[in-house]
Amino acid sequence: MFNLKTTPFHERTSALCQPQNWRKWAGYFVVGSYEHVLDREYWAIRNAAALIDVSPLIKYIIKGKDAANLLHRVTTRDIHKMKVGQVAYTGWCDEEGKMIDDGTVSRLDETTFRLTAAEPNLRWLSMNAVGMEVEITEVTDEVAALSFQGPNTRKVLNKVTESPVDELKYFRLMKNKIKGIEVTISRTGYTGDLGYEIWMDNKDALKIWDTLMEAGADYGITPVGILAMDMARVEAGLFMLDVDYTSATHAWIEPQKSSPFELGLDWTVALDKQGYFVGRRALEKEKREGSVWKMVGLEVDWVGMEKLFKQVGLPPQIPGMAVRGSLPILSGNVQVGYASTSTWSPLLKKYIALAHLQKPYFEVGTDVRMEITVEHHRQHAPAKVVKLPFYEPEWKKK
Amino acid sequence: MTNHYNTIIIGTGHNGLVAAAYLAKQGKKVLVLERRSIIGGSVVTESFGENFTVDSVQTGGTLRPDIIKDLKLSLPTVTQKPDFISLQPDGNHLILNEESIKRFSEKDASRWGEFVRFMDKAASILDAAYATIMPRLPKNMSLRDGYGLLELGLELRLAGRKDMLNFIRALPMSAQELVEEYFESEVVRAAIASVAIHNSTLGPMSAGTGYTLIHNWLNRGGLALTPTPLPEGEGQRVKGIGEITNALANAVKSFGGEIRTEAEVKNIKIENQIAKGVVLANGEEISADVILSSADPKHTLLKLVGAQDLPPEFVWHTQSIKMRGAVAKIHLQTNGNHGIPEGTCVVAPSVKYLEKAYDSAKYGEISEKLYLEVTTSENTVSIHFQFAPYELKNSSWQVEGSKVEKLAIDTLAVYFPNLKSSIVNRKLITPKDLEETYGLTEGGINHGQLMLDQFLFMRPIPGWSNHKTPIDNLYLCGSGVHGGGGVSGVSGRNVVKVLK
Repeated sequence: MFNLKTTPFHERTSALCQPQNWRKWAGYFVVGSYEHVLDREYWAIRNAAALIDVSPLIKYIIKGKDAANLLHRVTTRDIHKMKVGQVAYTGWCDEEGKMIDDGTVSRLDETTFRLTAAEPNLRWLSMNAVGMEVEITEVTDEVAALSFQGPNTRKVLNKVTESPVDELKYFRLMKNKIKGIEVTISRTGYTGDLGYEIWMDNKDALKIWDTLMEAGADYGITPVGILAMDMARVEAGLFMLDVDYTSATHAWIEPQKSSPFELGLDWTVALDKQGYFVGRRALEKEKREGSVWKMVGLEVDWVGMEKLFKQVGLPPQIPGMAVRGSLPILSGNVQVGYASTSTWSPLLKKYIALAHLQKPYFEVGTDVRMEITVEHHRQHAPAKVVKLPFYEPEWKKK
Repeated sequence: MTNHYNTIIIGTGHNGLVAAAYLAKQGKKVLVLERRSIIGGSVVTESFGENFTVDSVQTGGTLRPDIIKDLKLSLPTVTQKPDFISLQPDGNHLILNEESIKRFSEKDASRWGEFVRFMDKAASILDAAYATIMPRLPKNMSLRDGYGLLELGLELRLAGRKDMLNFIRALPMSAQELVEEYFESEVVRAAIASVAIHNSTLGPMSAGTGYTLIHNWLNRGGLALTPTPLPEGEGQRVKGIGEITNALANAVKSFGGEIRTEAEVKNIKIENQIAKGVVLANGEEISADVILSSADPKHTLLKLVGAQDLPPEFVWHTQSIKMRGAVAKIHLQTNGNHGIPEGTCVVAPSVKYLEKAYDSAKYGEISEKLYLEVTTSENTVSIHFQFAPYELKNSSWQVEGSKVEKLAIDTLAVYFPNLKSSIVNRKLITPKDLEETYGLTEGGINHGQLMLDQFLFMRPIPGWSNHKTPIDNLYLCGSGVHGGGGVSGVSGRNVVKVLK
């Protein structure tokens, strides 16, 4: 029988998980929420310091003379331009230029990289490494990871790290020590806030957790589950594989696939880079001809929604967490797209969604209507296309 | 610019030269590059000593007549087909004709004509398919693909429904099943079945040897190998299959094309997935608008291009092409008293014998009971040895070479006692030699096994059956492409149609 694994932090997280709200993530149990409602966890991300167990992230160490060549070939970024200590967010595509997965590439040294992924990619990486001097090792089960997110995280980390993290820039990483334990700290995350990800050996996981919890006590450190993170990532305009797009390797039919352009990742597609990379031809073509779809932000008009609820004598009702369900989007009476994740944004006080819209409806400012359910009836609330991200605090990159 | 050509063709095998000749005839500036010091690829007649000149790899076959006509080649048509002889220990050899078959089975003799008629018909259907460039399934078909297929469809309609059905039915069958439907004599069955497994690493009980039988029948024009006759008035030279490639080379030159020997292509120069030229082993760079490779797909794509410039799925498919060479060649120079009759002689006593010979290959072993096909030319004897697998279990070809030579001679000497004492000199060509000297990856003479998952629109790999590659301006034109396998030259001609 297939059993879900537990992460190296399980001893701590399971003791704290009051509602037994567990979620499956890449073969692991992780905490969905530590409390019955998400508010406290959500606000810890935005106002304090959220400690999130992200160990199930799939991680590969790619090492060898051709490590950079392999990632340059597989991903859409110009990996040869990356400096040691730099982290790059990227998607990777099949030969038709359709997204397979996305994650971060970290250049640990000249010939060693760490690649994170949402799903297993070993076969794909190996297929691309033919004739290369490179070793690909999956370290998902050996490397524990904590995402430490929120405006107070820098102060907490500085209390416990051997070298201060003040100089650590956005999307850079550093080797550091916490209580003498070697860790890698990257200025990355999935919340769009100030934040760090701490990478460590499994055996050190509990010690690091305890040290952070102790040091963060005065800064509102809060263990946070992935459901609150899900709300924050929508505000940050970050999408998720299998929720907001389907991997080209899993899609049943062509229309289920997405290109990086269609997901708004234009900035990650380095068409000016040297040499072949997977999907290059198709991506060049799409760039030339323009994309038919685009993922955009959608803000539902509160007053418009209020009216629909008022008709049945109710105040507007919004789910208390991010909804990973497809909601049709209309222009007039014609469907022109769909929202893949929608959520109430407690910070913005807005009902927002990541939406996939057809040309030309994806232009910012376009008025559309999104399906909402009003007392068991399907209605369509007015909404507007907006730029992503919905929320970007000044301290995110500072 | 002297160092720029319209088309560079890699390899002077028959297909490379056929393509080169057609293109040069069109007025294109053509350069053909050959690794070895002599031209011909596998279609070569070469000398291994004084009075020891043989067809070292391919020992028979003819170009398609339309190619000979188009290129005005001075290759006389063969009027007399040699005998196909199945050797018997008692000397009562079976010759595949009605009269001789009668001695083994009256009934089989009566069915021989019907079998030949079916095989000729099946071969002509296959021929029509080979002459048609296959669409790139499962990609969308282009209008031109559709037109070619329509033509093929019409041609097949004319073949008649019954023959068509029998042809389609025969392809996936085993050679054993096919011959058993016609013949009762084990000797007759095995003789025919041996042609099905010739150059294939398959046994007569393998599915799909119905297809390989038809393929080889088509390429040989029947069962026996046809030696290439000399053009009139040139009786002095030692005749051989190299006449074909020589005639083609002359045609290339007469149309203004260039041929360079000892010019090994190290790699194909690629910029942004577009082929720009070639780099030779000596470092020389030559540019061209179009590059054709008549080398096998694995060599061309994985060595000359390199995986780094190709899409991953394509690399995977290319790696997966089954080459599986299991042929060794033993050429003997004798004092002339070998006693072997003219024609194509085979050691193929029974279907089970052949199957067991193949069994060894499956396990990386050299057959102890082997299938031999023997041709002679005056004082020389050429032995085709199966199965001698390229990949040997727990051994190497350096160690096993002499074993193969001994096995071949011992086996043949059972039928021809004078053979051993007549031998003056010998030349062994192992599957490793086929790779290293003749550039055939894994010793695969057909540039990829002829099997049902590697033919029609699946040759060389699914989705790339029309000579094209993911590299613009780089085309394949060797035996590894649809139509290939054998000396017909059809892949070399088809590529020219794609270039138009």
